[in-house]
Amino acid sequence: MRSNIILGRGDLEVIEMLNKYLIDKIVGIRNVGDGKLIIDVKPNNLVDVVNVVTDKLGGIFVTIVGNDARSIDNSFHNIYVFSLDSLKTYLLIRVKLDPESPKINSITHIVKGADWGEREVRDLLGINMVNHPDPRRLILPDGWPEGINPLKKEFAHSIRPELNNSECYVPLRSDDVVALPYGPYHPLLHEPEYFELHIKGETVVGVEYRGFHVHRGIEKLGESRLTYNQVPFVAERICGICGFVHNVCYCQAIENAAKIEVPERAHYIRSIILEIERLHSHLLWLGVACHILGFDTGFMHAWRIREPIMNLAEALTGNRKNYGLNLVGGVRRDINKDSSARISKLLKDIKHEYDRFISSLTAVKEVIRRLEGSGLLPKPEAISYGVVGPVARGSALKRDVRVDHPYAAYKDVSFKVPTYSECDNMSRLMVRVDEVYESISIIEQLIDRLPGGSILAENAEVPEYREGFSGIEAPRGEDFHYVLTGRFSKVYRWRVRAPTYNNIPALKVMLHEVPLSDAPLTIASIDPCFSCTDRLLVFDVDKGKKFKVSYKALASGWKP
Amino acid sequence: MNIYKKSIWVFHLNTGGCNSCDIEILDVLTPYHDVERFGIKLVASPRHADALLLTGPVTKEILPKVIDALLAVPEPKLVIAIGSCTTGGGIWYDTYSTIGGLNELYKVLKEEYGVPEPSTVKIPGCPPKPESIIYGIALALGVVQQKVTTTTARVE
Repeated sequence: MRSNIILGRGDLEVIEMLNKYLIDKIVGIRNVGDGKLIIDVKPNNLVDVVNVVTDKLGGIFVTIVGNDARSIDNSFHNIYVFSLDSLKTYLLIRVKLDPESPKINSITHIVKGADWGEREVRDLLGINMVNHPDPRRLILPDGWPEGINPLKKEFAHSIRPELNNSECYVPLRSDDVVALPYGPYHPLLHEPEYFELHIKGETVVGVEYRGFHVHRGIEKLGESRLTYNQVPFVAERICGICGFVHNVCYCQAIENAAKIEVPERAHYIRSIILEIERLHSHLLWLGVACHILGFDTGFMHAWRIREPIMNLAEALTGNRKNYGLNLVGGVRRDINKDSSARISKLLKDIKHEYDRFISSLTAVKEVIRRLEGSGLLPKPEAISYGVVGPVARGSALKRDVRVDHPYAAYKDVSFKVPTYSECDNMSRLMVRVDEVYESISIIEQLIDRLPGGSILAENAEVPEYREGFSGIEAPRGEDFHYVLTGRFSKVYRWRVRAPTYNNIPALKVMLHEVPLSDAPLTIASIDPCFSCTDRLLVFDVDKGKKFKVSYKALASGWKP
Repeated sequence: MNIYKKSIWVFHLNTGGCNSCDIEILDVLTPYHDVERFGIKLVASPRHADALLLTGPVTKEILPKVIDALLAVPEPKLVIAIGSCTTGGGIWYDTYSTIGGLNELYKVLKEEYGVPEPSTVKIPGCPPKPESIIYGIALALGVVQQKVTTTTARVE
């Protein structure tokens, strides 16, 4: 599994720093591509290493990948992913755990963002997180039997154990707050998720979250029933809004693992469709945000402007959503000359319409007053939670995977990364407003420079037991996929970390002390995409430290 | 199937779908397709609705809530199953955390609650285009005639 070391960009600098601070703690170091480092450490050194990576190297937490590698080297693997944005490097820290009773020290007290990742690994792989502050289940449905961890290789993807119906979700209440259910079906949430807002007077003082209602078991499906070239089509079904992102991200991870050279034209086509997706996603969000504000005219206009983009996607790929365009090694359909001319004309029209829409939107005083100063997420909190995308950029954190870890054709185009430092809902809205202009400009540049040549790598072979990973800037932030290839053209481990997964925990901060009427808007301001987040299974509750909590079980069953 | 003489009001229930059907539903309501001109309106509570729009393969976590919502819709109720996942479970037909689509949901309804299957329109597609969603609803209202008939294939 050893690949040749190709050092580039920040790699040398990172290795130098690792040598300086951690020379005695690192067991092995590998480079799996430009700006992609994997280090092995002993489990008992993990906390020290994570401390150094976050303090000295400026690492921002991305995710945790758990892996049942008992059939490869008789151990469980836990891989902690950090992004060193300034050094343009992904650093993966791997620990190997005991196959019989795997356990590892929790790092949640150092990086708050690791909370969900650790609980997910515990749910799905049965790895014990020592000293984790929250013993509750995150992902699996209520009443799921103990000891059945779906991602362990001995369990089939089709196990459907009897659920224990007496176990049900118990909200935490205290006497001096009013608990207000928001979901699982709420007119302003278009997906099933349950927030319980704790209200004191008119102010939100705490929030409980029970998510992962949309967990469908995609990772397990990809590892069991499908071959590596079928997975892209399922990856697209992770999310109906930003599906193409997952699709490209998976393909890039496999290409990284197998060292497949993708033709330049395929890179350009991928980037064009990615930007088209960003356009429609941001317009969709702007519409929904207007709707939540009670400004339905804005909602209708945003969706009116969005419709030609959907038609364009259909013309280019054959479907309005779920394009089925990618294979490992390239794309399946080409863009012809006529489409280029059509895209240019359409973009011009959209820009004109969008200009008018935005100038009228920002002229509505009621809209601006609702947005300004609500849902604050200060920069230090943003770093600790590892938030991504417009949420990070709205908190003055200049993070954009397209710049930090360039992929596809983004190295060939120039664009601005809009950041705002007010850290409120307005900042997050303005980031998205500006990004639409940037996306239009990126597509124009890509169309101008579209190179010729083939669109699919020939004879792309995927060797066994190679690992690769990839990050992509989705409309909602950084999307991260990790793959370990397996035997018989299958994927051994496929891990998906969607952007919303890192952003939801930060809602605890954003919702604190906001007026109740701003809560739906604040929740929407992270552009939550629950189907992405829930591809596994989840359970989460925030205790809200400010008040005493008495446990009061509701009557059994789910009736509100 | 023409049980509704007047406008139908719909409640949108995501039963574990990936969002693409859901955004196509919203798309149907916005200016390009604008189904409100046919009197079709999205409402905020199942108790106000004539029809339920289901999208997704019905996950185990969501099952009790879906049943609650279904039972809350007054009779005569109509279920409009949108997308391949809902109609037959789709690629998730046997995964560990879903129940595998509408038929399984109806089985639970019948066995555990004694509720017969409501009238149902199935609109397959991944996602179905806005036009097919409108067509499906028109079918339910008896505006157009159904062109496809059911055939059963047995796989040994």
